[in-house]
Amino acid sequence: MRSKIDKSLLIVLLLAFLACIYLIFQWVPQIKASNPAEQIAQRIFYFHVPSAWLGFLAFFVVFCSSIAYLATRNRKYELISVASAEIGVLFITLVLITGPIWAKPVWGIWWTWDVRLTSSLILWLIYVAFIMLRRYLPDGSKRANLSAVVGIIGFMDVPIVYYSIRWWETQHPKAVMASSEGSLAAPMFFAFMFSLATFTLLYVYLMRKRFQLLTLEDTLNKQFKEMEIL
Amino acid sequence: MMRAALAILKKDLRMEFRSKESILAMWIFSLLIFVIFNFTFEVSRLVMLEIAPGLLWVAFVFSGMFGLNQSFAVEKENGNLRAMALMPVDGGEIYVGKFLSATLIMLMFEALIFPIFIIFYDLQLSLEMFKLIPVLLAGTIGFTSLGTILSAVAVHTRNQQILLSLLLWPLVSPIIIWSVTLTGMVLSGEITQAFYPLLMRVGAFDVIFFTLAYMLFDFILED
Repeated sequence: MRSKIDKSLLIVLLLAFLACIYLIFQWVPQIKASNPAEQIAQRIFYFHVPSAWLGFLAFFVVFCSSIAYLATRNRKYELISVASAEIGVLFITLVLITGPIWAKPVWGIWWTWDVRLTSSLILWLIYVAFIMLRRYLPDGSKRANLSAVVGIIGFMDVPIVYYSIRWWETQHPKAVMASSEGSLAAPMFFAFMFSLATFTLLYVYLMRKRFQLLTLEDTLNKQFKEMEIL
Repeated sequence: MMRAALAILKKDLRMEFRSKESILAMWIFSLLIFVIFNFTFEVSRLVMLEIAPGLLWVAFVFSGMFGLNQSFAVEKENGNLRAMALMPVDGGEIYVGKFLSATLIMLMFEALIFPIFIIFYDLQLSLEMFKLIPVLLAGTIGFTSLGTILSAVAVHTRNQQILLSLLLWPLVSPIIIWSVTLTGMVLSGEITQAFYPLLMRVGAFDVIFFTLAYMLFDFILED
């Protein structure tokens, strides 16, 4: 299972993350802020936002592969949706950890029940429940069907989280990339894009690994079952 | 069309009216919630008025959870769920029947608990209160449309009650949050311009969840 692609991906990832750290902590100019702590804390943005984007992407993959599973009944799609949900939860966990680290020096508090924060936490809970559902169900096509259904319905709340900053008043900084008002200076934009690309690569790598592992588990389980029958 | 849905609805309502199990339990449970809230948060009347809309929905949702858990648990007991799967009708129809019965039972319970709520929190009755009807309808339909399908999912698990809560709570929370805001506007008599757009948004999510659940219900029934 240790393919050449995975090995080279890993090497590229290592180099890219090193470059990321250099870009974020050395190369990008200091932002202008009255609070000196904010100037440093702001750099967490390059990890926070890509993690959030990838969380959304991962859940979108869950949604698509759930539909694909129900349409084709190919077990491959079921495993893809499981892998993607797990990795999505991982990335949203990162968002929920890096957010408060930034908020403490800037807002003075770790957490506030702001819409954006609350909705991100809700999103995390939805997909944790999705993963838990599978643990409570016996293996089989029933489990695959049920989790695909939840994977599709669960995604309906993702747009709410995404639009929460437009629908409600929130303390959370506006989306700088997607709006016309704020825009990033060129070096910051470059560093952000580089970081986003690196994180996306990390997602691809983790997906490949998790998928391989799940397939192995699957084959092993099948063999165990066959042995039981004998 | 929809004959199976109506048959399921009739069966569920007859069961409910004979035993009164769900509604009575939900009603008593809501009373308990009011009582517990009252002595865990000993607050002044003014603060109480502010948190009243949230309290009302907490009572609805917690008690509603009980009804939803029952909704498919009773079907599973005597293998009814399998019988339903074998019925020569579209799965969506079964969903509609279960959804209607859950919604009606929930609405009846809400109508029964609301007077108590008015008395406990000393709310002023006025014509404005009628605006609460679309709010309660929209919020309840959102809750039961999602709850019915997730209850059908959770019934297959070992730990169905906790799992239904884990699945349903986060998914339905936007609808509940909006319903609380709307209820607050009506109860405080401060209906702003935001009222109708927000109500429409709840309605839109009701439609989305209902349609999706209707389409997907076949997959839940099949083995």
